[in-house]
Amino acid sequence: MISIFTKKAGAGPQQDLSGKRKKRVQFSMYYVIKYIVFAIFVIYAVSLLMPFLWMLFNSVKPKGEFLSGNIFGLPSELTFGNYINILRYEIQGETVYEMFFTSVVLTLLGTFVNVFFSTITAYCVAKYKFPGRKIVMGVAIFTMIIPIVGTLPAQVQMMEMFNLSDSMIGVLFLYSGCFGFNFILMHSSFESISWSYAEAAQLDGANRAQILFRIMLPIAAGPIIAVAVLQAINVWNDYSTPFLFMPSQKTLAVGLQRLQNQLSGQGGDYPGIFAAVIVAVLPIFILYACFQKKIMENTVAGGLKG
Amino acid sequence: MASGSATEITKTQSEGDFQAPQRHKKKLTKNTLRDWRFCAICLAYPVIQFVLVWSFVNIGGVLLAFKRYYAWGDWEWCGFFQFAKVIDDLLHSTVNQTGVSWLNSTRVELLNSFGYGFVTIFISLPLSLLFSYFLSKKMPLSNVFRVIFFLPNVIPIVALTLAFKLPFDSTYGYMYKVFTAFGLSGGIFESWPSSQIWIYIYCIWAGLGYYILLLSGAIGRIPKEIYESAEIDGAGYATEFIKITVPLVWPTIITLVVLGMTNVLTLYLQPYLMTNGEASTYTIAMSIFVSTSSYNPVQYCEAAAKGLLFTIVWAPIVMLVRNLMSRCFRDVDY
Repeated sequence: MISIFTKKAGAGPQQDLSGKRKKRVQFSMYYVIKYIVFAIFVIYAVSLLMPFLWMLFNSVKPKGEFLSGNIFGLPSELTFGNYINILRYEIQGETVYEMFFTSVVLTLLGTFVNVFFSTITAYCVAKYKFPGRKIVMGVAIFTMIIPIVGTLPAQVQMMEMFNLSDSMIGVLFLYSGCFGFNFILMHSSFESISWSYAEAAQLDGANRAQILFRIMLPIAAGPIIAVAVLQAINVWNDYSTPFLFMPSQKTLAVGLQRLQNQLSGQGGDYPGIFAAVIVAVLPIFILYACFQKKIMENTVAGGLKG
Repeated sequence: MASGSATEITKTQSEGDFQAPQRHKKKLTKNTLRDWRFCAICLAYPVIQFVLVWSFVNIGGVLLAFKRYYAWGDWEWCGFFQFAKVIDDLLHSTVNQTGVSWLNSTRVELLNSFGYGFVTIFISLPLSLLFSYFLSKKMPLSNVFRVIFFLPNVIPIVALTLAFKLPFDSTYGYMYKVFTAFGLSGGIFESWPSSQIWIYIYCIWAGLGYYILLLSGAIGRIPKEIYESAEIDGAGYATEFIKITVPLVWPTIITLVVLGMTNVLTLYLQPYLMTNGEASTYTIAMSIFVSTSSYNPVQYCEAAAKGLLFTIVWAPIVMLVRNLMSRCFRDVDY
């Protein structure tokens, strides 16, 4: 105490002033750095949004207006003709509309099979003790942390052997693999749900399946929806799996690349490409707007666990 | 009498004690069997699917690396022939479109692939760490920034690559016009190394959000009191960042470094969608993907050997780096 007092007393008004000045300099530096970083953030955010806004504005512009050089101005007249034309546009016997439909069907089914099997497996592992339970858990973690490269050729061979190549069923078979991040997330959700609900239902005569479908799944609806949203985004965005395993039935993600290759170049239908991009990202933007918090929370959980 | 009744009581108690667990055990066993049956029904498909896919794909992938396919449809064991071919290509291939004398098609693949690791670890990660640190400092609109920065992670990669490259389109792209107005070459994807550098820039542009989200989560878990006491002690931004933030989020940094290092062997869609492999932008994973998408079994074997060879070489290095990094700072519970 004495030494502190002595030090303070000995500091004198001059040192006190320089300390204050130092603090003021630090304070102003703090704000300078903060606003430089803020400006960088604004530039980065604009760079991410700008291409999509540019495509959105040009997709509702008459094609002629864009091709004649108005690539940056607002549209003189609002038209959805580009959207109608591009949805009717045919690539290798399939219209973009059909690709959109294929994407919707694949996303719904792919999400369902993955989330359903992940949930059921996670429930069994979290709530029942059976031989091999620890192995199942270990396998789930192992497959998440060990990436094996160069297995694509073997995967193609396997699908050919099972007669599942070039079919949506084959792709759904691959999506139904459930020992991954969704399993881990659902496992921790079920572990946090008390078993007393199941015991009460058991006393009322419910069997194991009824406990699962009528008691546990409704209680775990929140995490299930969160996992389903992430899975739906993954399936909708997936390029490689549909590209390799159902080449004759293209999804929008696969078709978009072909579309760009065909329509770009001098005099190409750029507003059409932009319209197709907007059609491909719109469902995702809607999902992201509705479930943005859940998506980000689960990505953090998945990223850290992975 | 007393002793007799006492004996009776003891006997009854002991019988009761004996019977109760037996009854309980019997009931448990029956229930347990029913539980197992229920689990077996629920897990039958997931386990079969996993065993089929995972074992077939991984064991099959390894075996494929030791095989050769003939155009008339015969498979043959060929030992290390495919591995030797990959190494021979690396050392002696004369295919070179880069204009750099010491490079060839396989070497440029390796160089491009390692570039992704370098860019992720030494550019994206430090930038994300800085961004996350400042986002945690009561930055105005910080939540809006987080949402926007994360956007590239939910958009289809095809749409995202188009969003990046269409503005550079030589016919109608606005960035192309800006570049040419400043006397720069707008044709960024026309030749190597410009094509590769711009794909790296794309990866930084599109990938920062994911790292920022993970690091923000980790920084958000650091107790505010630690920063407050550091501020009282007169620590500035730099001290706070180097001496508090970095050590406390070190486990997350390790995860992201490992992720960056695995990019070396797994990244292919970005260059594939951006340039379709033109202008020497191939990576190891992309050459495997292109070989596979040719649906030609002759190419499968070499692709499998290439994947296996580089995994065997690279995986121990990744593990080593991970272990070395874990020793830098002790784990702290907070």
